[in-house]
Amino acid sequence: MNDAYAVELRDVVKQFGDVIAVNHVSLQIKDGEFFSLLGPSGCGKTTTLRMIAGFEMPTSGAIFIHGEQQGYRPPNKRPVNTVFQNYALFPHMTVAENIAFGMEMRQVPKDEIQRRVDEALAMVRLAGMGNRKPKQLSGGQQQRIALARALVNRPEVLLLDEPLGALDLKLRKAMQIELKALQEEVGITFIYVTHDQEEALTMSDRIAVMNNGVVHQVGDPESIYEHPADRFVADFIGETNFIPVRVVSLSPEIVVALDTGQQVVAGWAEEGLSVGDKAVLSIRPEKMDLLEPKEMPKSPSQQMAYVKGKVTHLVYVGADTRHTVVLGDGSEIVVRLQNSYIGEEPWEIGEETIVTWNAAHARILKE
Amino acid sequence: MSAPMPPPTTLEHARWERFKSKLGGWSLTTYGILAFAFLYLPIVILVIFSFNDSRSVSKWSGFTWAWYGKMFQDGQIMLSIWNSLFLAIVSTIIATVLGTLAALGLERYRFRGKTAVDSMFYLPVIIPDIAMAIMLLIFFNMSGIGFTPWKVNFFGARLAVPYSVIIGHVAFNTSFVAIVVRARLAQMDRTLEEAASDLYANAWQTFRRVTLPMLMPGIIGGALLAFTLSLDDFVITFFTSGAGFNTLPVRVFGMIKKGVTPKINAVSTLMLVVSLSLVVVSILISMRSGSEDSVTIGM
Repeated sequence: MNDAYAVELRDVVKQFGDVIAVNHVSLQIKDGEFFSLLGPSGCGKTTTLRMIAGFEMPTSGAIFIHGEQQGYRPPNKRPVNTVFQNYALFPHMTVAENIAFGMEMRQVPKDEIQRRVDEALAMVRLAGMGNRKPKQLSGGQQQRIALARALVNRPEVLLLDEPLGALDLKLRKAMQIELKALQEEVGITFIYVTHDQEEALTMSDRIAVMNNGVVHQVGDPESIYEHPADRFVADFIGETNFIPVRVVSLSPEIVVALDTGQQVVAGWAEEGLSVGDKAVLSIRPEKMDLLEPKEMPKSPSQQMAYVKGKVTHLVYVGADTRHTVVLGDGSEIVVRLQNSYIGEEPWEIGEETIVTWNAAHARILKE
Repeated sequence: MSAPMPPPTTLEHARWERFKSKLGGWSLTTYGILAFAFLYLPIVILVIFSFNDSRSVSKWSGFTWAWYGKMFQDGQIMLSIWNSLFLAIVSTIIATVLGTLAALGLERYRFRGKTAVDSMFYLPVIIPDIAMAIMLLIFFNMSGIGFTPWKVNFFGARLAVPYSVIIGHVAFNTSFVAIVVRARLAQMDRTLEEAASDLYANAWQTFRRVTLPMLMPGIIGGALLAFTLSLDDFVITFFTSGAGFNTLPVRVFGMIKKGVTPKINAVSTLMLVVSLSLVVVSILISMRSGSEDSVTIGM
């Protein structure tokens, strides 16, 4: 039954001395999936990847690749290949020799090696570069050679350790699209380590968000962004407002009280919260709107929240404007409004306003 | 900076500044010339008088190749040259293998007593030659190794090289090789080895195909250094060879006792040319191997 997964981690722990780098991580990565391990530096994502590759052995727990337990199997015996952050191209070999290395070690016949090297070079659009030394190539080209060197071996799983980290922004964006297209073309499972949330959201089928060696949430990009499971995920992915609240009721409806005493309804609450607990209401800046005080409905709907505040700061960022609003209890929230309304007067600093949002967008998270 | 700025520079002041900087330039140039003269003039004179057409090493009386001819006809000098070469080659090969292995062990593995072994490797570099020489002499006497010679036919020359001298040279050369190779190893990117094992290379293939080629400039640099040190060594050879075994430096020392002739200049010039060539070769290799991580061979 494990065969359904390209890679499975079961309760994996990695300790370096006193430091727990990876803390009871379990993951199931499906065949053909573009799966990202996302988190800040030091969160354990690279260690997790290195354990799958075989460079590190788990302190406890088990790793399966297509149902086969890896145990203490060394990297050269595992059906995976790695694209390293610094590319790790062999500087004393030509590009073609670099790409041929894995096949040579597996004693693939010479003429087949030659053919597959040419194919791999064509695949990464570097045909004819085979005789150069890695040093003679640009960063982006070296990156593509590293990719070709790994993919030419037709691994069951390709591991990528922040492979675009060293490239400049423009090249990185182009490579993101190229990588994603390549992955769809070859149909190989990609496990991609990154600290760049935008990169992870753009490319991945699913993402595991990690921090301090723990997986906080696994899901597709939309659910990670729209339904963050806890405060860390909400904070790490995108921009979020956290408004301090106290839980008033959890069923039939989730109701929380702001510090001003005003009660608002929310769409979802993290497990483990109980009535009376302190918590935060998390809501994305683009999910809110600003109303003029006179626009306040006489009998407000239960599904909408209305909170009084004052505009204190405006930042124009092109497509939209970030409005900073201070609420009655002194907490600040950011509201992003699109700059597309015709005939509507822009907000000015110092204006009284009412911040409103649909209760379904508000998530109550532990502090 | 709390002190007030000096008043704006006047024309005179500017001139004075210009003079001062020029004066600095001149004195630096003069100093440089004098320093180089002090270092290299004796060598130049030594080389010039190896071509002197008289027995004097201080009064010039015409050009001749004669001393070089005499040198190559002198059986004892030739024997000592063959001795030096044989000793240098054998001790370099052994020291390069041992030194490289030691560097790998010290850089890659953790073991009990590593710090002690580590500092022991610097000992032959730091302690005076004479101390090491006496140490080795006592060791060979006490251990019963003595000065038993290795009788060997080396390119037609019948040599009898005491094992003790070979061991002595290996003893200091191993340290130098280990230090040079280790410096190279420390700079090496370990992910290259990980990449090799990720590409199905086993431990030996990784070493053979990635680690060793990457280390090669360091190993060659270390070997050339060992070869030069062995050729030039006097003290340790002198103490560990017993009677009747001469390397070129030891032979020269013996000749000087009987008076200095331009033949000695010729021999010294030969040694100088060989040493310089080795240095040039090592620089060329480190330049070819790629750039920034040059192999330093300076002593």
